[in-house]
Amino acid sequence: MIAIDPIGALIAAAIVLAVIATLWWMLHPPISKVQEIARDAETELERMVGSIIVVFSENIASQHMMALAAKLAKGERSELLAIYVVSVPYSLPPDAEMTDEERRALDALGAAQAIAAKADINLRTETVKARSTKQAVLDIAKRERANLIVLGSFREGKYTGAPLSRTIEEIAAEAKCDVIIGVEGKHGNLLVDQLGFEQTEQGETAP
Amino acid sequence: MPDQHQPELKRSVTPWGSFSWGYSDVGADIFVGLGLVLGAAAGASNVAFLFAGIVYVCIGLAYTELAATYPVAGGGQYFVMRGLGDFLGFIAGWAVLLDFTIDVTLFAWSCVDYLSEVIPQLLNPIHPWVHFIAVFALIAGLCLLNVLGVRESTTFNGVVSALDVISETSILFFGFLFAFRPELLVHTMTTQWPSTFNLMLGASYAIISFVGLESISQAAQETQRPASIIPRTSIALILTILIYALAYSNLALGMVPWHQIPADAMGHAQTLWQWLGNNDNNGKAVALLAKEVPYFGALAALYVPILGAILLLISSNSGVFGSSRIAYAMANAKLLPSIFQRVNRRFRTPAISIVAFCAIAVVELIFAAWPSLDPGAAAFYAKFFHGEGGIGFLGDLYAFGAATSYSFVFLALIALRLNDPLSPRKFRIPLNIPLTYKGERVLFPVIGVLGFIGILSILVFTIITHDLGRIAGPAWLILGFIIFVVYRRSKGLPVFGSAPHDWRHEQIGILRDAGELELMDEYLARLKEREPARAAEIG
Repeated sequence: MIAIDPIGALIAAAIVLAVIATLWWMLHPPISKVQEIARDAETELERMVGSIIVVFSENIASQHMMALAAKLAKGERSELLAIYVVSVPYSLPPDAEMTDEERRALDALGAAQAIAAKADINLRTETVKARSTKQAVLDIAKRERANLIVLGSFREGKYTGAPLSRTIEEIAAEAKCDVIIGVEGKHGNLLVDQLGFEQTEQGETAP
Repeated sequence: MPDQHQPELKRSVTPWGSFSWGYSDVGADIFVGLGLVLGAAAGASNVAFLFAGIVYVCIGLAYTELAATYPVAGGGQYFVMRGLGDFLGFIAGWAVLLDFTIDVTLFAWSCVDYLSEVIPQLLNPIHPWVHFIAVFALIAGLCLLNVLGVRESTTFNGVVSALDVISETSILFFGFLFAFRPELLVHTMTTQWPSTFNLMLGASYAIISFVGLESISQAAQETQRPASIIPRTSIALILTILIYALAYSNLALGMVPWHQIPADAMGHAQTLWQWLGNNDNNGKAVALLAKEVPYFGALAALYVPILGAILLLISSNSGVFGSSRIAYAMANAKLLPSIFQRVNRRFRTPAISIVAFCAIAVVELIFAAWPSLDPGAAAFYAKFFHGEGGIGFLGDLYAFGAATSYSFVFLALIALRLNDPLSPRKFRIPLNIPLTYKGERVLFPVIGVLGFIGILSILVFTIITHDLGRIAGPAWLILGFIIFVVYRRSKGLPVFGSAPHDWRHEQIGILRDAGELELMDEYLARLKEREPARAAEIG
């Protein structure tokens, strides 16, 4: 049987503690200002993209932003919802059938589902009938407690040269969360093309 | 600085990677040094380690300050060049190159010796050609690994260093817990105190146990945020190695062995420390000590020879790393031909430097192994080198190169404190005397002076006591001097003077490239305050 000397035991413990403390101290250096900025940006991004809503409508083309949102959602494991807002004019009852518009909604949301499937993320879709696109988007954002609304640009913007419609501007101004607006440039469909989708002349995508 | 279109070294070395580069070099030294020191300094081995350890702490602090202030590849060579000029910078770098190339050979050789514990066919005295081929294969393999890229090498070093830290800490923990007797330590120190000569001899061996801190500085240009990381990794390395060296020496002197220690060749009884320090065992003292730890020794006997071999292998690897990078830095500074600064486009490593210095290591291997391979050579060595071939030859040069370069580094530290007070020092050695020098307030490093005296005394003692070191060491320096003169003249550069350097402009670039933007701002602010016109020109 080996007798343990108290001094030996004390030194043994001191050696282990000293080595562990030294290495722990070494592996935890203070972070630099640049690293601090990067860390804050990452934290902000995580907060920002916790729940994302991508908005489509007759006047808002968001296919290219859907691809971006899908990549963001995949990286940050966000909840992703794509909505298509069918604007019902006051001359019709609120639940009036809008056959052509609802068909376009199916195309847009179907393309969004395809983009999500390609990016391997879950996507919820919803078609909403509303008098005001702006109000519908803001209401859904509130209901979903969204952190981020993603919008494309004004569909006629390509021809008029003004990419932001009044609706887009009002959503950005009144939303209680962050808003990303993607103005489609000359090569603005790059993200969609990368995912293997063709963009039609009307700015819609199809698998 | 390298050409703008040349690929530069990757900044991929993490804090643990930086530590493990140093540890892989220094950590293996105790495997070789412990037995040598016990054999020379006997009951004062712990004091010899303490003396060398104090010098080592001074060296470590100097390197830490300099590497954090000037985070570039080159280490000691760069600091000396910047503080004392091109010529002395070359001499310091050339001495370090000697050490690193010997590092490659010496530890590859020792690695095979350790492996021979489990593979008897590798025993040098019985199968010298097999031993030679095995060492050569190790050097070639490490050369290839380093050419492929630092990330691969750093990962390799990191894993093995972690295993060794765990192992060495375990040996010491169980050794002190189960077998340490304080009264035996006191008794051994009292009755076995050596002569002053032997104590100094032990101290000179002990300093070999601490060689290798240079590796951290060498990796500075590839370390992430070097000014912040290197002080931490250096101090951690200094403390860890110091803890191990002091703990091992005290344990060896005060440990009750688990088994009966065999009698010596004359039939006299031996104590544990005598057994570890005799000529047959001093090359594997750690393995034998570990085996004598009660209970734990049963396990240690199985793995310590293997772990020792692995650690010696990565120590050899750090020699490959260090020599190629110092040559890269020296070529950048126009101290060596520009071929050594070429970075391979595919692997982004200084492949030519790596291959060239591994070739030198192979030459040293041939020189060391020759007497064991050829009886005629053995007679020649016996006549001219006092019969000291093999590891003895390499060890002498190792001590000489280290002491020479460290002496210059202390002088460079002092010179840079006086001549470059504006460079921000994220880590500064404590104990300084405030002075006014050339109109600037400077801090004169007392520890730099003490360290210089300490390492110079070890250098002098190495020259006095090591027969081969005092011949081959200066011969290496003369060879380097000839190469330096030929190269500098061919380029129209001064031999003893320095080529024009814009250190302030370079310092901005160093800090920017290192990602130390706050230090760069601090440096520019100081320049603006002292020399507004110069700062505007640089900015």
